Amino acid sequence: MMKTLALIQLTFRESFAKKTFIAFFAISTMLCFLFIFALNLDIVDGVKSSVSLFGKETGKLIELQKILLALEGAVAVALFTGGLFMSLFATSNLIPSLTQPGNIDLLISKPLSRTQILTGRFLGAVSIVAFNVFYLVIFSWLIFSLKTGLWNWGFLLSGVMIVLAFAVLYSLMTFLGVMIRSSAFSLMVTYLIIFFSPMLLQRDKIYALLSNKIYGYIVDSLYYFLPKTAELGNITQQLVRGVPITSWMPLWSSLLFGIFMLGITSFIFSRKNF
Amino acid sequence: MLAIETTELTKYYAKGRIKALDHFSLRVEPGKIFSLLGPNGAGKTTLIKLLLGIVYPTGGSAKILNQPISDHHTHEQIGYLAENHRFPEFLNARQVLYYYGKIAGVQTVTLKQRIPDLLKLVKLGDWAETKIRKFSKGMLQRLGIAQALINNPRLLFLDEPTDGIDPVGRREVRDLLLSLRDQGKTIFLNSHLLSEVERVSDEIAILKDGKLLRQGRVQDFISVKDQYQVKLSANEKHFREICQRLAIRLQEQNGAYLVSVNDRKHLNQLIDEMRSHQILIHAIIPRKISLEDYFIEVVEDREEGQ
Repeated sequence: MMKTLALIQLTFRESFAKKTFIAFFAISTMLCFLFIFALNLDIVDGVKSSVSLFGKETGKLIELQKILLALEGAVAVALFTGGLFMSLFATSNLIPSLTQPGNIDLLISKPLSRTQILTGRFLGAVSIVAFNVFYLVIFSWLIFSLKTGLWNWGFLLSGVMIVLAFAVLYSLMTFLGVMIRSSAFSLMVTYLIIFFSPMLLQRDKIYALLSNKIYGYIVDSLYYFLPKTAELGNITQQLVRGVPITSWMPLWSSLLFGIFMLGITSFIFSRKNF
Repeated sequence: MLAIETTELTKYYAKGRIKALDHFSLRVEPGKIFSLLGPNGAGKTTLIKLLLGIVYPTGGSAKILNQPISDHHTHEQIGYLAENHRFPEFLNARQVLYYYGKIAGVQTVTLKQRIPDLLKLVKLGDWAETKIRKFSKGMLQRLGIAQALINNPRLLFLDEPTDGIDPVGRREVRDLLLSLRDQGKTIFLNSHLLSEVERVSDEIAILKDGKLLRQGRVQDFISVKDQYQVKLSANEKHFREICQRLAIRLQEQNGAYLVSVNDRKHLNQLIDEMRSHQILIHAIIPRKISLEDYFIEVVEDREEGQ
């Protein structure tokens, strides 16, 4: 455990030294300050008398809670999308740099298994993202809650969802990083998966365009196999807004994808010659 | 218990087209400095990587400290300095030792005591808080040695430890290796600097094209059988006559004589004759060649044999 923890710490330091951590932190802080100054509420007896966001009035005599939920839902989706893109970009080099000659040999010569080395790096990347995401989510949640006086605990779940979605996508990046050792390539493929996700969600409409039934099966297989980032974004929004979740399938199937990718990567990494 | 034992260890690359190591069997006794010699591409680094589990063998088996090489727990007793090691440049010297010590499973309390001592030992005491991106090649190499020692290992693998280090530094590294050997540690050395190897090694192995050509004590390789260098103070004329009479081949070499005798008895006969003729003997030294000469001889023999 101590050895894995040291690897996580080392990953943190690397991210810190490469300024990605600081950039991440600075952007999060800037966003929070934006929320502080952009959101203006005048409340009379628990009902808003006026709400302005970025200086614009958003309507009158709407229940404050509804506004808050809508606002937090929108922010959560924005954080989900932006946070994922930023996190993947910030951590894209961590696996290829791990496998660099001169570094990996030294780590393998230490008394820890290759799975531990890979897990340490993976958890290091997830910890960096979790730290920044929770900083942003908790900070913005505090701003919204203090300004409105309403404490929507569901908003905090958006942090959990972003970190889980990141971990799933990062498992794919870990796989590509070990196989190809190129951060640019693994980033491109992962972004492609994110872009494909909403398209696969609309696969009913795609069927009509397909000439052969077999393509339909392929599209279906891709949908069920790949991470469902678009639906995870929807679940995040529903959790924040307190809307009951109709299906958890996108979450558990995405998590299964992540576990599968990590398992297969660990298998390949353990048998690789460096 | 042997420190290292390999049996028919084999590593092929590119589907067998490249034979990095070919049925290589080796035994290294504990508490010795063992050096691996060979031209570039002989398979020296491959052997170390196989022993440390960095690459996997195609065939054969190997043990380190009596445990199969697949057991990573044995690495708790191993230190390794890679040929082109790459420490994270954002760390300072103290942090490098701290993190790699932690990864090696050393407790924080122990590290706090050991890190300053090791930095002092490799003459980096004043550079503890300096980022290693500012280090010269020699300084990085010294830090690499300290890193290899951080877990107080029983067995040390050093791949080109004096690479980039100046002559004074090389001497310090040499002294350090000897002192580690005296502490009972086994050192497995891979170096191109044959003069260094000759000075510190107890035993060597010569590799070429993945095959073991020779293994044995350095002294046995560099001493030439039944050849002695004789240094005299005077009476050289008599000496030549004696040699002629005893059928001893004689060669003059840098103000001394090189004699080839049949055996030790023959040598003693020569000494008796010299003394009976009042020839003042300054020194009789068994002839040695340099390890470099021997190495080239062996490697070239192999080339001719092919």
